[in-house]
Amino acid sequence: MLVVRPSTFVDLAGIERLLDETDARVTTLPKERDKLSEKISESDDAFRSGIDADGPASFLFVLEDTESNDVVGTSGIDAQAGNGYPFFNYRLDEVVHASHHLNISSKVPVLFLSHELTGRTLLRSFAIDPAVRDSDGFELLSRARLMFMAANPERFSQELIVEIQGIFDDKGDCPFWDAVGRKFFGLDFHTADYYCSVKSKTFMSELIPQHPVYVPLLPPEAAANIAQNHEAANRICQLLYREGFRKSKFIDPFDGGPVLKGQLSFTHTYSNIRFKKAKPSEVIGGMKYMISNQSATDFRCAIGTLVDGIGDSIRLPLDVAEALNIREGDQIAYSPL
Amino acid sequence: MYIRPIQRDDLDALTVLAKNSGVGVTSLPDNRQKMQAKLEQALMSFEKTNDVEDRLYLFALVDENTDEVAGICALEASIGHQDVWYNYHVGKSVHASRDIGVHKVTQTLYLSNDLTGSSEIATLFLMPDYRKDQNGQLLSRSRYMFLAEFPELFGDTIIAEMRGYSDDHGHSPFWDSLGKHFFQMNFSDADYLTGLGNKAFIAELMPKFPIYVPMLSEEAQAVIGRVHPHTEPALAMLKSEGFDFNGYVDIFDAGPSVATKIKDIRAVRESEIKLVGISDKSPMPDYDDKHGLLLVSNRRFGDYRVMLINTGAAGDDSVWLSAKQAETLNVTDGDTVRVVSLRPTEKSS
Repeated sequence: MLVVRPSTFVDLAGIERLLDETDARVTTLPKERDKLSEKISESDDAFRSGIDADGPASFLFVLEDTESNDVVGTSGIDAQAGNGYPFFNYRLDEVVHASHHLNISSKVPVLFLSHELTGRTLLRSFAIDPAVRDSDGFELLSRARLMFMAANPERFSQELIVEIQGIFDDKGDCPFWDAVGRKFFGLDFHTADYYCSVKSKTFMSELIPQHPVYVPLLPPEAAANIAQNHEAANRICQLLYREGFRKSKFIDPFDGGPVLKGQLSFTHTYSNIRFKKAKPSEVIGGMKYMISNQSATDFRCAIGTLVDGIGDSIRLPLDVAEALNIREGDQIAYSPL
Repeated sequence: MYIRPIQRDDLDALTVLAKNSGVGVTSLPDNRQKMQAKLEQALMSFEKTNDVEDRLYLFALVDENTDEVAGICALEASIGHQDVWYNYHVGKSVHASRDIGVHKVTQTLYLSNDLTGSSEIATLFLMPDYRKDQNGQLLSRSRYMFLAEFPELFGDTIIAEMRGYSDDHGHSPFWDSLGKHFFQMNFSDADYLTGLGNKAFIAELMPKFPIYVPMLSEEAQAVIGRVHPHTEPALAMLKSEGFDFNGYVDIFDAGPSVATKIKDIRAVRESEIKLVGISDKSPMPDYDDKHGLLLVSNRRFGDYRVMLINTGAAGDDSVWLSAKQAETLNVTDGDTVRVVSLRPTEKSS
């Protein structure tokens, strides 16, 4: 069975292997062991600090195959984007250049540097093993984060954001980066990306151009890539759109990829969630649900079959109850797949 | 050849000059109505019937043998008064991070109105047939004699905007990389509108935020602050008088602006007042002797005149003019004139 749970130091080797095998870039997860273990340590603190904590917190989940004990995916949440530092985006806006006298009026797209999304809740670090990519595990890994937020809503912002991978080619060249960031950072895309995951964020604010960028001055290819996602991110985009996320006017300042925005309470997962007392037993028939326990520190989420009915308790398959550490009478949350 | 203020009946001559001047000399629009408006403004300026800031002093180079107008030059008392005066200031922004060892200086263009209130060395055009006998030098440098005489009518600082680089087809790489995106128009069309007095309107359509130079095409980057090849001699002349690049460029073609304090202009500093004496033995100017010529002005306002004379015609306190020269300058025995060598002394040539 596939289960989403908080990452632990035991997962280090597994996550490293996963990062080596996945093609999509995962900026927020560095491949270096010491940096990675720092991330796990931060996540550990976040889970342990309980529901009363209201400062920045970074949660890192893993998707575990309980039969092999292999880590086959990661996903994460930053309760507050930027984690106490400014969170940088470009906002795609328009400026009208008009002259009544000359009978001319044209709208010029302009990128403005913005910190507006700082402090929103950021979904991040999504990576999945190609072997389980086409299974329910894909949906479980992404949506489990919403289940966790539903169980601990006071720790998160109502406004959710997701940065989607922008376009780069097979050689790793990113036209948007080459046209904008590279001119100020003096670094190729991968190096900059790497620094972003391992260095303190202050270098961002030191190097990123402060003045607005007129889109018509960019090479056509770079301009065309604004707010376009890499094809490897098509599937996650589709899933997030179904959840109720939409493209925003914000883009990633590095690769120009889109930032999706959603409202926690309006997401498909959250708005269809039910809470009931679990009654572990045999379950015959029913429908597939995302099912999670209500523990803040030892959160678990898996997919199982339920028969929903009236009353405040519900039968829970025995193997799911075991995987989620649930005993009779414990509260569970479930949302349709 | 001599310089005098423009006159009402010069309109036809001005129109011919404008037709000949072509793209790039924006202050001479090939449009009779606009030319007439400029003429009226200049006439009021010499009559002192308009505001000091609004004055435009237009001067004609006249062939005394035919009374033909061979060229024109101008001084603008104060720029940016009627319209808004825009330039890009060529500045820098530094992006540095100790943490990752990056330190990058990026040239950045900042839209500015900083030159508002400066005086301007404006239009100059000389008919091709007259491009000889130091006529270009006379036409251009005669203006310093006017500045030396009437500094109270001008600002402290005077600038000249130099025509920026464009290719043989009139394409400006800077315009193509920047202005064109905000204004679907060719450089020559925009240039024409500018000459018609629409520069401020066009400027309103230009980008207001600073422009990072590396975001422009390489061709555009290469011509920032560069003059049109035809303008090189004019730039050299201004530099020899003490003008220098002031860090501002034109918002359309990125041609440089050069500036100096009026009191620091070589011809203003070195000019002297001398008494006129009439003598037919006075040596006549030799136009081949570049350093043997003096600019001499009659120091008058409404009936201002300047011409070239032989250096040998000047003594310590006096200048000896032939009767004909005195007539051209409209001076007589005992009047005073202002005199300075046409060119700076040997060092710069």
